[in-house]
Amino acid sequence: MKVIACCKIVPEEQDIIVRADRTLDTGKAVLKLGQYDLPAIEEAVRAAEHTSGRAALLCAGTAVIDNSKLVKAALSRGADELFLVTDEALAAADASQTAAVLAAAVQKIGFDLVICGEGSSDIYAQQVGAQLGERLNVNVFNAVGRIRLSGDSIIIERVLEQEVEVLEVPLPAVVSVTTDINLPRIPQLKDIMAAGKKPVTRWGFGDLGVAVRSPLEIISTLAPESQERKHIIVEGDGDDKIDIFWQQIQKEL
Amino acid sequence: MIDFQKTEEQELLLESLREVYKRGDFEDYFKECDKNHVFPEKAADAMVEAGFAKLGIPEKYGGTDCDFTTLIFVAEEAYALGWPSLCWVNQALQVDDIMAFGSEEQCRTILDLGLKGIKPFTLGFTEPQAGSDSSAMAAKVERRDGKVIINGHKTFNTAANRSPYMLCLAREQKNENPYKDFSMFLLPMNLPGVQIEPLDKIGNWMMQTCEVYMKDCEIKESDLVGVAGQGFYQLMKNFEVERLVACAANVGMARCAYDEAVRYAGVREQFGKTIGTFQLIQEKIVDMKIKIENMQNIVYKAAWKKSTGQSIMIDSSLVKRYTGQAAFQVIDDAMQIMGGIGYTNDCRISRLWRDQRVYRIMAGTEEVMVHTAGRALIKEALKK
Repeated sequence: MKVIACCKIVPEEQDIIVRADRTLDTGKAVLKLGQYDLPAIEEAVRAAEHTSGRAALLCAGTAVIDNSKLVKAALSRGADELFLVTDEALAAADASQTAAVLAAAVQKIGFDLVICGEGSSDIYAQQVGAQLGERLNVNVFNAVGRIRLSGDSIIIERVLEQEVEVLEVPLPAVVSVTTDINLPRIPQLKDIMAAGKKPVTRWGFGDLGVAVRSPLEIISTLAPESQERKHIIVEGDGDDKIDIFWQQIQKEL
Repeated sequence: MIDFQKTEEQELLLESLREVYKRGDFEDYFKECDKNHVFPEKAADAMVEAGFAKLGIPEKYGGTDCDFTTLIFVAEEAYALGWPSLCWVNQALQVDDIMAFGSEEQCRTILDLGLKGIKPFTLGFTEPQAGSDSSAMAAKVERRDGKVIINGHKTFNTAANRSPYMLCLAREQKNENPYKDFSMFLLPMNLPGVQIEPLDKIGNWMMQTCEVYMKDCEIKESDLVGVAGQGFYQLMKNFEVERLVACAANVGMARCAYDEAVRYAGVREQFGKTIGTFQLIQEKIVDMKIKIENMQNIVYKAAWKKSTGQSIMIDSSLVKRYTGQAAFQVIDDAMQIMGGIGYTNDCRISRLWRDQRVYRIMAGTEEVMVHTAGRALIKEALKK
């Protein structure tokens, strides 16, 4: 089976500085693999291992993502190869643009199954997986908590509010997986050493024949206004206490 | 020419170490183990599973090739995160000791233990009358009626209760020069006649240190490691590198205490402001940081010299003496910054303070380091 995991390089949250005007300064932030993408990578690697197939990683962004440590960090988690799509236009790409670029890339790579994380670690719009499936015109599901392989199809479990939905999905397909689908492996030294020797394919928009134009315009991205803590403590578990607790919450809503 | 940048591979390996540590959430567990004087099995298992026991054991034996500078970085980082003293899971140097001189069967046995992160042997070196003066060792081996018999009394045996073997130095009683009279044996700790008695120590509660009595312990000729009479010299093979790795623990423990104390200084308020705004506290922090930098520099430089084939005979003594003392001063200052809280067992710094103290004594006291380096430095000066 040919499996592709999509992953995004994001700034380390702890390094992001909120300026006085609430705008964000990511200039000093170290770049890392998105936290939500790690289960996607792990699931892709497992699927490839179980089917003696091949797991590829696909990552799109500006030129900064083509960094040898980031490349090794990604490939040390078990995938066989990495495809990097870079273009400065991706600096402020929204979900639609990202999905368009990824769609062109996965078509060029060829795939049976594409696995995305549940959302990106920075924007977390949870849109790219669904839009990617739509653009590819294949089956697409989000909130997937389990994947079982079954010949030309996969059996997925989606944990919904009232029930667990079990679906048999013919391939090819695109799925977005939840963070509890697996516990991603932690790379060992031999994985890290091997990562540096795995193939990396670098593409620009020209190689993919894509040009992105966004229907959206981002006017501003601001951190929430910080608020003073209320310092209201309700102790006890009697009905009267719960009432007070509820009233306090209602007041704020 | 001077490059302090770790390689990307080293950085990623340290990131993996931090990830295992974070995932394990070990701090409360270590506190519990320390209180109960037990080895942190669960945490050690997690590190072994994550591959940290394999590092430095050759690939062809199931390990992962790794240079010792990287082993030093890993050990330092583990202790900096709060890993308990004397409990690190990597046994690559002990494995290498046996690989250098042991028989095929001994190598297999020790490799198997090393890959599982089990300390293969306690070092049977120190005796009550033979501390710094190792020539006074009196444990002896006798060959009677085709049997090999060991009698002796060893002490300060780290992990004697956990290690399956003792790497026991015993006198052959054939050569008057004691250094040419020691043989090295891999003595099974479950032999009849072996009696283990834990010592009651002020620190390092997660790793026992014991006295070991050996009364008419019958071993086999095949338990001899290497060549009879060459035991002392064989033991010296990895001595300097082992010393550097032990010093990495000093650097790590000092960093651990420093990190906690500096954070505390930044938030603890007295007299209406954080104590970090007081210059007496700032002075401590600055001097602690200078010592940590110095320790890293001297350890890393010695590692670099060794890896480029230069002698670290003098360096290893300087590193041992300096890092033992400097780490103690850093941890002591960290406790001072914490105030009363730092003296309680609820605060990790108290554990570091108790545990690190012995690094100024064990594996060569800081006074013996003067003895070894001092003479060599004068000799070196006269050669110029």
